Amino acid sequence: MARFRPARLAAGACTLAGVLLLWYASTSLTGWIGPARFPEPVEVWDALRQITVAGYADGRLDQHVLHSCALVLMGFAAATAVGVPLGLWMGHSRRAEAFFNPIFMLIRPIPPLAWIPLAIVWLGLEDASKVMVIWFAAFVPSVINSYVGVRSIERPVLEAAAMLEVRGARFVREVVVPGALPHVFTGLRLSLQASWTTLVAAELIGALFGLGHVLTQGSLDIYPAMILVAMMAVALCGGLMTAALTWLEQASMPWRFKA
Amino acid sequence: MSNIVFESVSRVFRRDGRDFPTLDGISLEIADKEFVAVVGPSGCGKTTCMRMVAGLEFPSSGEVRVAGQPVRKPSAERAVVFQQFALFPWKSVWDNIDFGLRVKSLPASRRREIIEHYIGLMNLKGYESAYPHQLSGGMQQRVAIARAYALDPQVLLMDEPFGALDAQTRVVMQEELVKLARINPRTVMFITHAVDESVYLADRVVIMTSRPGRVKEIVDVKPTREREGWDKYPKIEDVMDLPSFTNLRTHIWRSLREEHGHVEKRA
Amino acid sequence: MKRDADSTAGLWPLSVAGLAAFFGIWWLAAGLHLAPPQFLPMPQEVLRTFAGLLHEPFAGYTLGQHLWSSFLRFAMGFLLAAAIGVPLGLLMGWFEWLDRIVTPLFECVRYVAPIAWVPFAALWFGTGIGGPVLIIFAGAFPACVVNAYRGAKYVEPRLVEAAQTLGASSLRIVAQVLLPAALPSIVAGLRVSAGLGWMSLIGAELIVASSGIGYMLVKGQSNIDTAIVMSGMIAIGLVGVAIDVLLRRAESRLMRYRHPSHS
Repeated sequence: MARFRPARLAAGACTLAGVLLLWYASTSLTGWIGPARFPEPVEVWDALRQITVAGYADGRLDQHVLHSCALVLMGFAAATAVGVPLGLWMGHSRRAEAFFNPIFMLIRPIPPLAWIPLAIVWLGLEDASKVMVIWFAAFVPSVINSYVGVRSIERPVLEAAAMLEVRGARFVREVVVPGALPHVFTGLRLSLQASWTTLVAAELIGALFGLGHVLTQGSLDIYPAMILVAMMAVALCGGLMTAALTWLEQASMPWRFKA
Repeated sequence: MSNIVFESVSRVFRRDGRDFPTLDGISLEIADKEFVAVVGPSGCGKTTCMRMVAGLEFPSSGEVRVAGQPVRKPSAERAVVFQQFALFPWKSVWDNIDFGLRVKSLPASRRREIIEHYIGLMNLKGYESAYPHQLSGGMQQRVAIARAYALDPQVLLMDEPFGALDAQTRVVMQEELVKLARINPRTVMFITHAVDESVYLADRVVIMTSRPGRVKEIVDVKPTREREGWDKYPKIEDVMDLPSFTNLRTHIWRSLREEHGHVEKRA
Repeated sequence: MKRDADSTAGLWPLSVAGLAAFFGIWWLAAGLHLAPPQFLPMPQEVLRTFAGLLHEPFAGYTLGQHLWSSFLRFAMGFLLAAAIGVPLGLLMGWFEWLDRIVTPLFECVRYVAPIAWVPFAALWFGTGIGGPVLIIFAGAFPACVVNAYRGAKYVEPRLVEAAQTLGASSLRIVAQVLLPAALPSIVAGLRVSAGLGWMSLIGAELIVASSGIGYMLVKGQSNIDTAIVMSGMIAIGLVGVAIDVLLRRAESRLMRYRHPSHS
């Protein structure tokens, strides 16, 4: 939605500043919003200091972040390693599509979070169950978007490839993959978002470590400032990973991004 | 000997259980190294004819042969220039032309020779590393033509190649194509609905009827062109001024107009 | 390697084969006791449990009652998100100044996973209905706003100009040109946000509920009753599909009266 032009950034900064002021005014200054409902800015700062230095919920912030990020990356990588080739195959071969589509249609409507209880039954409360749920969350978007990516290759381009007698591995490598790549990246971005959402949810439900665990502990301790810190950490991690992915996207598709 | 032969070719489309005849008993021969343009009203099936020579579509009855062999699938021997350019967006100009040559397993030095030759001929010098989206329509089509010629095909098929270009670019491209065709003659089947273009470029012009398409008339242009020395005039507007040109053009126009009347009646 | 022929009509045996392979492997794995039956029930066992849940209560209610409870929460959160989100998005699309003010806030909050609101929801609403509704709202709200925004912003300027030259008043322009033009985008946004809202609901119910389908899943999990958990997952999937199909049908019926707009 927003393009990062200087004027807009300035306007955005103003708004944020306004919100911060409002926040400060309604909590610390006037006590209009009570401390149990929403933390004061100072409290949040204290909580941040606490978790980074002393630690909270059995670990320091960087430990929690690393742990959560590692799980996300594991599930994401495993899911896309299977999902992208499968989607590409289904897009290219009507036979593959006919074979796999019904199974996929069974799995697709199940929201990723709904896999959590099953994952806990099968793999317990440890990391393995989180990775399983993340896998399912990341798998679906990557298949769908890779499929769409192949189907989006224009007919004349495919006919030109046929005319040039491009076949086999070369066809996949030099026509199918580059042709589908824009959509594949869209799928990767969606998969990544889904991975983060699902991880936090899975950790909220039952975890011994990680950002979701911090959220739960903050809940139990009625420590709203810490909850906010954890939420901001989640948003930040997600945003940074997405930015990295976007950078990768631009690097791998020079033909789309050169002026 | 790369000639194209249509033998009683018919094409029927089936949709929703009904038959739509598109081509009806086309018999036609395009001789080796002859440049033939096919004109006709919209929907007469002229593009379908070309696609059958390309191996992208197949006749419902009858046979299409190139160099004596029936056409079974697309091949670099029957190179196509598409109206929509059909360049690979993720490949540079150089790589686009190179792609087909690599499939033919030509050695690198030979490939470089060929690509440089056609980049020079098609005025693409300096654009070798550009991507299609950075180029204008005219430039992209130049790349497509270079790509097709570089394959050294038996037969060249062009499907309204200048249809997507603006009028000025179109004229420039027509002049370039004529020059290229005279330097590098080969069997060409050129589909267009622009009568001017067909008379300017072709040795013969095939006029098709409205749907279902049949061959209505074939107009010989080459004898007139050689007799009147059109090739002496490098600029297209000078050629189009000549009475011999306008006579042929008007003749074909009238023939086509009758067919347009038929199309309107049916609509 | 050309792409296979374009019709899937003759390929249905492959589809059948695919499903057969899926259920066959499941059946074999369960039958061979590759895992204890509590963890990997036979497919037919799951079906039996599903059917049983339709009239025998589990964790306090039958399947139908759980679903209804969930659906009510979903409806509340979704309608709230639509009622606030769509007008907001439209206004943001029409008034640049509003866009500039709201967008930075929106972009910050948008990426917070709906589920991350659970702790605050628990803090503010306890186990009341407010909690899940807040989370559903968080899930459904962004899509409503974004799609309404797009529909409002990317109206063909020529449409507006035409209306103005015909002498229409501003209100008329809004009602008869801008709103209908934005409608396809709005409706598409509603469909997407409904799906997201439903998914957020499930997440919420896994944590803070005492009834509802998510709660049923949790109870099944703590009893290590895989058949119940799977039945719950099937029910969730079915309802999700039903919501989507219904909204798609409503969408196409609404769109039948509009000519297809340019892409």
